[in-house]
Amino acid sequence: MTDSMQFYISTLVIYLFIDIIGVLGLNLQFGVAGIINFAYIVFVAVGAYTAAVLSLGPDYPGNFQHYAFGASWPFPLPILAGGAVAGALSLLVGVISLRRLRSDYQAMVMLVLSLIATLVATNATGLVNGPAGLATIPQPLYDWLNLDPLTYQWVYAGWCGFLTLVIFLFVRGITNSPLGRSLRAMRDNDRAASAIGKNVTAMRLMIFVVGGVIAGISGAVFVEFIQAWSPGSWLYPETFVFLAAILVGGAANNWGVMLGTLLVPVGFLEATRFLPQIFYNGFIEAMQWVAVGLLILIFLWFRPVGLIPERPGRFRARAETPSAPGE
Amino acid sequence: MNQLIPAVGFGLITASILCIAAVGFTLQFSVTNILNLAYGDIMTACAFVAYLANHAGVNIWISMAIAALFGAVFSALINRFVYFQFVRRGTRLFGMIIVTIAMSLIIQNVLLAIFRPTFFSYKASPGSSYNFGGMIFTGSQLAIIGIAVASMLAIHLISTRTKLGKAMRATATNPSLARSCGIATDQVIDAAWLLSGALCGIAGVAFVLNTATFSEVTGATFLVPIIAAAILGGIGQPYGAMLGALTIGLASEIAASAINPSYKDVVAFVILIVVLLVRPQGILSEVASAKEVAA
Repeated sequence: MTDSMQFYISTLVIYLFIDIIGVLGLNLQFGVAGIINFAYIVFVAVGAYTAAVLSLGPDYPGNFQHYAFGASWPFPLPILAGGAVAGALSLLVGVISLRRLRSDYQAMVMLVLSLIATLVATNATGLVNGPAGLATIPQPLYDWLNLDPLTYQWVYAGWCGFLTLVIFLFVRGITNSPLGRSLRAMRDNDRAASAIGKNVTAMRLMIFVVGGVIAGISGAVFVEFIQAWSPGSWLYPETFVFLAAILVGGAANNWGVMLGTLLVPVGFLEATRFLPQIFYNGFIEAMQWVAVGLLILIFLWFRPVGLIPERPGRFRARAETPSAPGE
Repeated sequence: MNQLIPAVGFGLITASILCIAAVGFTLQFSVTNILNLAYGDIMTACAFVAYLANHAGVNIWISMAIAALFGAVFSALINRFVYFQFVRRGTRLFGMIIVTIAMSLIIQNVLLAIFRPTFFSYKASPGSSYNFGGMIFTGSQLAIIGIAVASMLAIHLISTRTKLGKAMRATATNPSLARSCGIATDQVIDAAWLLSGALCGIAGVAFVLNTATFSEVTGATFLVPIIAAAILGGIGQPYGAMLGALTIGLASEIAASAINPSYKDVVAFVILIVVLLVRPQGILSEVASAKEVAA
């Protein structure tokens, strides 16, 4: 295999792992808990920015880019900080928007948040270098490992794979636990869940923060790989790629959403990249977004449960679980 | 002080445009209980229709009428052939919001694919300037304010003085009861979407006339103050939306003149957050919480 092919494949593998981390976090919020977070990409972005400024080193006069909170923390710390800051922001956003709002209002508020976050990051030039964004973010342990770039790519892919496994086990731990059952009960009928004594507001908030932390980690790992991050990398439609992956794969099923990630952001969007440029530069990209929208509509229409549906509860022997009304 | 008066002038224009847009948005919600997140993109589509007409040599105000007509038909078709179909299949609030955002992605990017990523502007002269005690308006800005007042008056008269208005309010309050009383709710819903789509088209063209240039994301960005105005006024309440639009329009322009013009929408967002914190029950009003999507 040629080196360039290996580069490409290892990059795809890294993208796949990072996208899986991101999708697992959103699935926890959307698929399992029924929170429509249209601002998910903002939490990914916050994790990415945090990791970036914490590994870029302190800003200095005459630097070609300007940012706040610069530091050069050693390797795993920027990623953990990315998760923590994204989690803290989730808590703030959750406290404001998740309290008593109907699910579609929540979605609308999140969409507005996503638009505003881009506006602020673009205009507050001293914060994360405005529209130009941050660049030359160092790759973790690059000098210390002292590998050739290709081997480093594969090592990074291995690291992402390890992280994906950890997050997958963690998410599966939640979904298979009694907490996971409570969350699904809340998603299907929140009044019934609170009637049997579940604190739905606290559960919603908790899972929103957990999802936010996972989003932040995925952003942090991503930015340390691609080494650049700007407002253009996280425009609000990016959330809908994740959402499409979940709807295609099967909401609330961790294996399903991983399949969805393989099919939508990696398989579909990468494959169409090789189409010849027709009409003009950017046409294919516009049509990709149209396709993402159509994919969402088609799956909601023909197969709302996705390719690998959520497994029904395993308590059939004792009592038939009544199907949930509404949703 | 000398900055304040012109800012109030800008605020009045922004409020007028916002008023038309927010009333349309809230009307769709009140009659069908759908929060149409593709609203901004339909605005953009209408702005492009007016652009095509305008560049084919049609006067800008006639182009606006054409855009309003297009907006009316386009919105009603989207509702009838996409949203309504999903509702009839049993898609509810949770799913409908995803359907509307998918529509938004599709419309926005089809426009991008057709018109390419660049900025567009109309061929229209702003007209001579008029000075009202320090507030300076161009002729077209005065016309926009006039159109906004006329549309609001029209909406008021339609909803209070006509049978259609009565039927719309009945459908908004209780669709099944309205149907039982012999109101053809399907036709009423179509009429509501035609009406709100026309407002959407007028708002799209007025917005572009005021900002001079636009691109495929213009409408989606304008969704921020629209949603803020609609929520501030109590969503589903046309008169509330008018009041909300006036507040958001004035507040954002005055704050923008004091801080930084690019933060106009941030002001709208802050107001939205304050409303959510202080008066979430304003959003979860009796009407909204009791209702499901009209099917």
